[in-house]
Amino acid sequence: MPLTRAVVEELARILGPDGLIHSAEGRLVYECDMHAFYKGAPDVVALPSDAAQVQAIVRLCRREGVPVVPRGSGTGLIGGAMAPAGGVMVGTNRMDRILELDLVNRCATVEPGLINLWLTRAVQDRGWFFAPDPSSQMVSSIGGNVGTNAGGPHCLKYGITVNHVLGLELVTGAGELVRLGGKVAERPGYDLTGVAVGSEGTFGLVTAVTVRLLHVAEAVKTVLASFPDIEAASEAVSAIIAAGIIPAALEMLDDIMIRAINEGSGADYPKGAGAVLLIELDGPAAEVEAQAARCAAICWERGALEVRVARDEAERALLWKGRKEAAGAVGRLAPTYLLQDAVVPRSKLPAIMRELVAIGARHRVQIANVFHAGDGNLHPLILYDDRNPEELERAKAANEELLRACIAMGGTVSGEHGIGLDKAKNLPLEYADADLNFMYRLRGVFDPQRLMNPQKLLPSHPACGEGFRPARPRLPDGAWI
Amino acid sequence: MAVTARSIAGALLALLGPEGLSDDDASRARAAVDGLVPRWVARPASLEQVCGVLALAHDAGLAVVPRGSGSSLELGHPPARADLVLDLRGLDRVLEWSPDDLTVTVEAGITAGALARRLDARRQLLPLDPPGAGARTLGGLTATNASGPLRARYGTLRDLLLGVRFVQADGVLTWGGAKVVKSVSGYDVPKLMIGALGTLGVLGELTLRLHPRPEAEGAWLVTAARPADAQAFVVALLDSPLQPNRVELLDGAMLGACGLGPAAAAVVADAVRAQGEAVVALARRAGSTVAPTPEDFWARYEREATRGDVRLRVATGVDGLAAALDAIARADGGARAGGCAAHGLLDVALGVAEPPAVAAVVARLRELVAPAGGGVVVQRAPRAVRAALDPWGPVDAGPLALMRGLKDAFDPRRVLNPGRFVGGL
Repeated sequence: MPLTRAVVEELARILGPDGLIHSAEGRLVYECDMHAFYKGAPDVVALPSDAAQVQAIVRLCRREGVPVVPRGSGTGLIGGAMAPAGGVMVGTNRMDRILELDLVNRCATVEPGLINLWLTRAVQDRGWFFAPDPSSQMVSSIGGNVGTNAGGPHCLKYGITVNHVLGLELVTGAGELVRLGGKVAERPGYDLTGVAVGSEGTFGLVTAVTVRLLHVAEAVKTVLASFPDIEAASEAVSAIIAAGIIPAALEMLDDIMIRAINEGSGADYPKGAGAVLLIELDGPAAEVEAQAARCAAICWERGALEVRVARDEAERALLWKGRKEAAGAVGRLAPTYLLQDAVVPRSKLPAIMRELVAIGARHRVQIANVFHAGDGNLHPLILYDDRNPEELERAKAANEELLRACIAMGGTVSGEHGIGLDKAKNLPLEYADADLNFMYRLRGVFDPQRLMNPQKLLPSHPACGEGFRPARPRLPDGAWI
Repeated sequence: MAVTARSIAGALLALLGPEGLSDDDASRARAAVDGLVPRWVARPASLEQVCGVLALAHDAGLAVVPRGSGSSLELGHPPARADLVLDLRGLDRVLEWSPDDLTVTVEAGITAGALARRLDARRQLLPLDPPGAGARTLGGLTATNASGPLRARYGTLRDLLLGVRFVQADGVLTWGGAKVVKSVSGYDVPKLMIGALGTLGVLGELTLRLHPRPEAEGAWLVTAARPADAQAFVVALLDSPLQPNRVELLDGAMLGACGLGPAAAAVVADAVRAQGEAVVALARRAGSTVAPTPEDFWARYEREATRGDVRLRVATGVDGLAAALDAIARADGGARAGGCAAHGLLDVALGVAEPPAVAAVVARLRELVAPAGGGVVVQRAPRAVRAALDPWGPVDAGPLALMRGLKDAFDPRRVLNPGRFVGGL
């Protein structure tokens, strides 16, 4: 149902003459995130410049029963920042200020549209950084990172976004502007901040974020090891973790990715290797030296072909160059791909990689791998040609089978990208009806009308409905009823 | 049909068996919470039994007080009602320890000490060390969001709890989170259970992230002539590439109790030995003196930190620590304090014990830390003291309404720990 003219006019009054996009071609830009498979343009795009405007938009939409969809930079990979049911999209791009830097208390308060990397740039001269580092960090917004609880290579040691969020300012689906958590620890009451991070806009719209900043470590060391095959590299990953070493990052690339990267970016990854591990250690200098030596030894023990240790910052940057450009290099492999984000317990990496090869062969699809091996977070790229519908079907079947294999090994549907429209249908693989129903009711506390980013995160499933009652334990016979 | 105590008792007995249920006067009196004597004490041996008890309690309108070791029963408001005490110490198994994944799944009634002894075999660590943690259950530590000195490096349960199996107020067994170290599949339900005092569900099983035990450490005692100098050292330490495991700030009284001092205040920091020289240099620059810390310091500190009938946690900024120490000393000459300075926390044992005197101290401290967004929570105090003040302190109307909404959604009949939580939830 398109918006009435009266609603559009009221939005224009709230936002001013240049705060609203409603031309067809203007809205088209906003019809999808980077998972371009899912498309849905909003009826209008609102570009508020402060929390008061955001609150006014939500209150208006609530009154009119219109869906509200948040959007940061649109770099998500899940069909999140798009409007399957139309409505008002709220772009946070104009709210991009750093409101406060408080290095004594190791935190910053920023508006949601601030680009992730800009925050680190604002404090790095003084020795600080913002830890969550999704590959999109040059363009993705902190509000978007909060919405999806984004990860990144260095989350292995430092944790994902939620571990760095101290407080939020949020306009809830009920239209209330609330401040949750804050700079000082130990707020009494439920951890509303913690549960709101990763809620993908289904609780409301974030208007400010207080994040933890970390001090850069004394030393950093990067090691690149190549292996004859991905299984040997997986064994090395498991052995490093089992040895009690938590690197800052522990990334793996397979032979398909190595070729694509070498051709595309000029990074000089070992040719002919079946897999490459990129290991980064940081911390006290003495500890880092010892751990780097230990990691190198483990790699040799597990059959490494070559181990390179970066001697300086320039060499370190070169080792990372290929990894950082991996997403771009994929374009030269196939016209399109399905991207997975499942997680397995890291000790199961060798087993899941064997399974992955078998699944690829069974469905006759090529699967490229570049992923966060240290925490078991897979990113298989299932390559296909979208001009061939039959190939897409095979890619989808392989994707589904791989996801089920990960969950059967004790893993989860998503490690860092989030759920969105894309993976909502997969949640019942991981959660029982009672668990889904708990989430459904939780969402209702923040967004009673369920207008905030509809169709995202929660599946269309009987357990996610008003009438559903989870099975309760049977009481003993002879009880009073 | 009317519910009678007799029929409830029969159903409980059928659920738990005679070994799992007590209703004799002595057992009930021992289980009293703030003077409220429950009608039953249930000691479930399985999570299924917990589900059954809660389903029954829910339908019969009973108030249930879940408990572990009982060390935090004096946290929060005195309960509004307490019909049944649910003693979870029987659920104490390690269900799945995967050393190569650095994760463990345990039943919530296991003590941190029992788990630590198991993990030690592979030099692994659950870095959760509030005073007395060894005897406390992990369910209790989670429900109270307890933290100790290691918080400086490893954070809190928020950073450690990956998954949780809990029983909702109506007896429905529910799982949230994941068993792997990284997951964003659905809402982060475990966050909701941390520090919730069991008011949204009874914790049954916990999946936790473990850490490798750190390599050889040294600890340095940095004494200062004034609290402000100690604070300056903490600020300098945090603004350096050093990676301390613990950064505890102690006032003069706590220092004395630990057999050290005399000094106005001191910071004990520990880190890998190789960073020792840098710690010493920073301390000298901040105008403090440095000495090695006695071998048994942490054991002494833990013992002293569990003392006191009235204990508070004062949360302020790192830049508010010195002012808080000064205010504590002025408000109560018999107080002593020590806490995780890296996060601006001070745990205070008060000298005063009379309800009006405690209320006055708490009010003064709250007034001091409120502008910076801080607060004061009474961690432990006799019932009369907690009845004379709000042990949690003020919570803004917006968040409080959401908290009430959560309680209404998940425990509308107020089965779980009614009255004890923030806002009387």
